[in-house]
Amino acid sequence: MDHTLPKVTGTIDGHEFEVCHGTTLLEAAKTLGIKIPTLCHHPGLPPDGNCRLCLVETGDKLLASCAFPIRASGGVYLTHSPLVFEARAFVLKLLLSRAPNNKELLKLAEEYGAQADPRLSDDPDGCLRCARCVRACQAAGSQAIALIGRGRGRKVAGPFFEPPLDCVGCLACARSCPTGLIACGEEPRVIWGRQFDLVKCPQCGRTVGTPEELKRAGITSWLCPDCRRREYSQALKNLPEASFVRN
Amino acid sequence: MDSKESMESREAKDSIKSQVEGLLGSRPRQARHLLAVLQDIQAAFRYLPKEALLMVSEKLEVSAARVFAVAGFYKALSFSPKAERLLTVCQGTACHLRGSEKLIQTLESRLGFKIGQSSTDGRLGLETVNCLGACALAPVATVDGAVHGHLTPEKALDLI
Ligand code: SF4
Ligand code: FES
Ligand code: FES
Repeated sequence: MDHTLPKVTGTIDGHEFEVCHGTTLLEAAKTLGIKIPTLCHHPGLPPDGNCRLCLVETGDKLLASCAFPIRASGGVYLTHSPLVFEARAFVLKLLLSRAPNNKELLKLAEEYGAQADPRLSDDPDGCLRCARCVRACQAAGSQAIALIGRGRGRKVAGPFFEPPLDCVGCLACARSCPTGLIACGEEPRVIWGRQFDLVKCPQCGRTVGTPEELKRAGITSWLCPDCRRREYSQALKNLPEASFVRN
Repeated sequence: MDSKESMESREAKDSIKSQVEGLLGSRPRQARHLLAVLQDIQAAFRYLPKEALLMVSEKLEVSAARVFAVAGFYKALSFSPKAERLLTVCQGTACHLRGSEKLIQTLESRLGFKIGQSSTDGRLGLETVNCLGACALAPVATVDGAVHGHLTPEKALDLI
């Protein structure tokens, strides 16, 4: 948190909060210990606000708290009002039509009294279209996959529905997927229909990553992080006394 | 190893590439012109050839995934050649109530192909749209953009 930023205040469920300008409503609620259910939110990724589960009420309106930065004081937010409850139940119904067997969804659905609507369940492929995979890929430095198509036909894929050439095999997408839907293998490294070589640390033999992945990160040494650190401190130790600057 | 066919397909690819090169030249090479460039290519080829999309990705420095996602989002863009003439039947609420379904059935059975498909010679294609904003004329169809209203199945067949 940047403490030079101005503060904003307001209330959530009647409790007062004070956070830095621009803090999301979801984070503000967290500081008060108020839990808001989320699916597409991932603390390490930019918010996308696409699953709509984290809806919160303010002045008769609903907003996605994970993607709402608080920029003004005086807001009154309700996270468990009847309106919120109803909206989340509806969202869960829609999500269930996509992922009827998702444990987390089923648990939430029970809590909110939501049921899958058989009229909507024509393609229950288990994917929430939360785009965490797409955002993780981008955050890691590639843009190998995207949500392709629109409406009910929308799905995560590589260009031309082919194994994506921009993929470096880092598995960031698979690891960020809340449903564990992206088929992949650690060793041998396979994902999105592609297989990758693996770099082994020349000192300890541990798997460091794929050559493409290391290249993307600008890492030229093929040592694993531990051995690299050891080598570095060794080099420091061997430096002549005179090369240390003291002041 | 070069069969005549692969020579031909290579030639076709090269000609696509040089045409796309020309189209790309007419706009600033910036990511924000992606959609405009795709429209240019669609207009020139009646579809978006794969080689063209890969070139766009490279020249505008937009990832192939992003180019493909944008290309797949708009109904006016397509990955397979659209027919020379396009017959589009409105399926909006007003047209639906005034019997667009009947028009579609009649057209499909006469033409022998379905909505979203084209005749085997690529001359005529059939599509639907959700409201053309001409509800007073319902049911409505367009042929290459020209609107025909108050259609009956018989009148629709005359549009072919
Ligand atoms: S594959 Fe996983 S991470 Fe990607 S959109 Fe679907 S559920 Fe989300
Ligand atoms: S968690 Fe906020 S919209 Fe998905
Ligand atoms: S519903 Fe067909 S023109 Fe509006």
